[in-house]
Amino acid sequence: MKKAILLAISAVIAANVANAQTLRLPHEIFSGGAESLDPISPSRFFEVGQTVYSRLVRQDYDGNITPDLATEWSATPDAKQWTFKLRPGVAFHNGNAFNAEDVVFSLMRTQSEAIDSPTKGGLSIIREVEALDPQTVVIRLNSSHADFPILLMDYRIRMLDAETCNNDRNKLCESGIGTGPFKVVSVDPVGTTVLERSEGYWEGPAKVEKIEIIGIADQQARVAALQAGQIDVVLSITGQQSALFKGNENFIVQPVATGRWLTLAMNTTTKPFDDVRVRKALRILADRDSIGKLVFGEGGYTVACDNPVWSGDQYRAELNCPKDIEQAKALLAEAGYPDGIDVELFASDVTEGLVRMAEIYQAQAKEAGVNVKLRIAPANGYWADTWMKSAFVGSSWSQRPADQILNEAYRTGSAWNETFWNVPSFDAKLDEARQTLDFNARKKVYGELQETLFEEGGSFVPLHQNTMRVISSKLSGLPEVEDFTIRFQDISKAD
Amino acid sequence: MFKIIIRRMGFAFLTLIFVSGIVFISVEALPGNVCTAYLQRFAQGPRLEKCIEQQGLDRSSAVRFRDWLAGAVQGDLGVSLKRQKPIRELVGERLRNTVLLAGTSAAVGVPFAIVLGFWAGLRRDKRADLAISGIAMLAMTIPEFVTASLLIFIFAIWLNWLPAVTIVPPSASVLDILPNIILPAIVLSLVMTAHIMRMTRTAVIDILTSDFVEMARLKGVPERRIIWRHVAPSALIPTVNVIALTVAWLLSGVVVIEQVFNYPGMGTLMLQAIYDRDLPLVQAIALIFSFIYVGVNLLADISAALLDPRLRTSRRVY
Repeated sequence: MKKAILLAISAVIAANVANAQTLRLPHEIFSGGAESLDPISPSRFFEVGQTVYSRLVRQDYDGNITPDLATEWSATPDAKQWTFKLRPGVAFHNGNAFNAEDVVFSLMRTQSEAIDSPTKGGLSIIREVEALDPQTVVIRLNSSHADFPILLMDYRIRMLDAETCNNDRNKLCESGIGTGPFKVVSVDPVGTTVLERSEGYWEGPAKVEKIEIIGIADQQARVAALQAGQIDVVLSITGQQSALFKGNENFIVQPVATGRWLTLAMNTTTKPFDDVRVRKALRILADRDSIGKLVFGEGGYTVACDNPVWSGDQYRAELNCPKDIEQAKALLAEAGYPDGIDVELFASDVTEGLVRMAEIYQAQAKEAGVNVKLRIAPANGYWADTWMKSAFVGSSWSQRPADQILNEAYRTGSAWNETFWNVPSFDAKLDEARQTLDFNARKKVYGELQETLFEEGGSFVPLHQNTMRVISSKLSGLPEVEDFTIRFQDISKAD
Repeated sequence: MFKIIIRRMGFAFLTLIFVSGIVFISVEALPGNVCTAYLQRFAQGPRLEKCIEQQGLDRSSAVRFRDWLAGAVQGDLGVSLKRQKPIRELVGERLRNTVLLAGTSAAVGVPFAIVLGFWAGLRRDKRADLAISGIAMLAMTIPEFVTASLLIFIFAIWLNWLPAVTIVPPSASVLDILPNIILPAIVLSLVMTAHIMRMTRTAVIDILTSDFVEMARLKGVPERRIIWRHVAPSALIPTVNVIALTVAWLLSGVVVIEQVFNYPGMGTLMLQAIYDRDLPLVQAIALIFSFIYVGVNLLADISAALLDPRLRTSRRVY
């Protein structure tokens, strides 16, 4: 028996030695050195948030909601009250047990006026969070939300230790103490931040022993560092840069679909865009695939049919939107423009590819008799002075889940409703989706919403962007999933 | 002599005031203000109010310009929007790192260039001159980021002798930074050497054919003495000005090179500030750069005056 234990121990030690590897990640220094260890801070330190803290629920590699610190959850039939059972035996890096009070603290602080977190809006649906017992929390919502767990899957909604944070909901908590697979050793956002694996992580210790997060602001410099073996991965490179790595056996290039999108937005309340026929004509005249190829290159995009829900989302509607010049011309004639129409389009260099996309659209529109006058506005002040001020403007959005993007961009009165899409029946359907607890029924409603946008909406959304990720071929356990889904604890590194 | 120095300093001061005016006005002339430029789509409600209050945008432009200048003189450059820290703190170590890089490059490049320039000038149109001048032309015409990428490819990626990019923080000790300086310093001194060497060569050739050197030769002064006593000091005068311009060029060159090598200096900070639309920081760095530029030129003027007997007097010599 003794021998067996000794053998087991030495096997564990041997395994540890074999894994005694350091994963080195680049950090883009988005906050210029003011990176905060508080996951809900506006200047959160992304790589630390992903590795040091845990969420209640997380997505699996296919995008489905799966347990993390919560093991099961259920809702009342009106989807207004949710009960989460917590994973027993989980401890923070300082030894404190993780319990329901920590959940109450971590969720309620997102609503703090003082912190002014970017997560405040998304979670404002929460009315109160109650700890029923140490292993159970009840969350009551202001309104129904059948997909409430998706909100908790947000990469910033992480569980903090209420005691370490002095239970102060109005202050940033930069302790760096979480329940995640790695714990903080030292922090230097512009230099090197060091993490070591937490042996007590609930899923078992991570595959690599240490993570070094190295601040490199410039993309070219990151690529050079990867080539020279100073780092092991660059999460996103351009199509041109991917050529540097193709055919090189030391690196693997992964194409990854994301939910970032570029759009040309029409104000549906001003002439001529208040006519649904004009809107549809302006959208179906485009050859989306060639826009994608010309702007982002082969493999750099996924075609969208004016639906902002991205290809990795479970609610994405599969629509078909070929270029149709004849129908566009017919619609314009019907709307009173038999000899074509003049429109003024504003775009700016605020997002990579936006101006190029507008230029290509301008060229394509000619074929349908649409004369686009393209105005390039200065990037400075674009969002304040041009966007949502002019009737036809270029814009861009980052990745959001279906329910969130449809509500933020298309609900009456929403601050960023850039097409001024004030349609009561659409709002009613948005509410209906949130009240429908059956997944398939809900999916049908979200699908109908996207179809409506394709038939009648004011957003021209030709594509979602793909990114290229390059990883050292020493790494394994990093599948082709978008950044938020990566589990750094699953990555291993060969000698 | 003293008068000249005072006058030059006066001009330098006026230039600085003028430049700071331009820096300030160009930011004022942008649409919106520094807060709307920074916050973009989030420029509304309490966030915008907080920003306006922090940056003191409720004051008139004239008052802000005066306060900004007065602050700058006392070393208070305002608060960075993105980093929410006093700019002075952000700039301190990075200025040291940039001076370290530019200084190393100049310390290696300038003497090297002058020696090469003399040699080429004295061996005009011989094989050594042709070789040196040819390589210099090549070094001048290839953009520095190309040279940098080439060196990274050879020494970091291929041979793996040196780090490709710097991964130490701005606050690292000089010893930790030094290994990271080698490649960027080589790139910077290459381009710099080419410029200064060309100028020195031209000056040497010019002086060698001048009347007073001819005179000295006719008088039977040994060639060695002619070169050291007569040619060298005179040839250095135009060279000093080129050195000043080149050192000033180092500043702009440093922006590109620092970025390529991820070097934690003023250049990377400036580019990050621009990406972040952190205009107070951009303004402050522009001011610091112009201060250095003007300062270096002032030094060059004074050294040229010291070297040139004709400039040592305030009397006009025609």
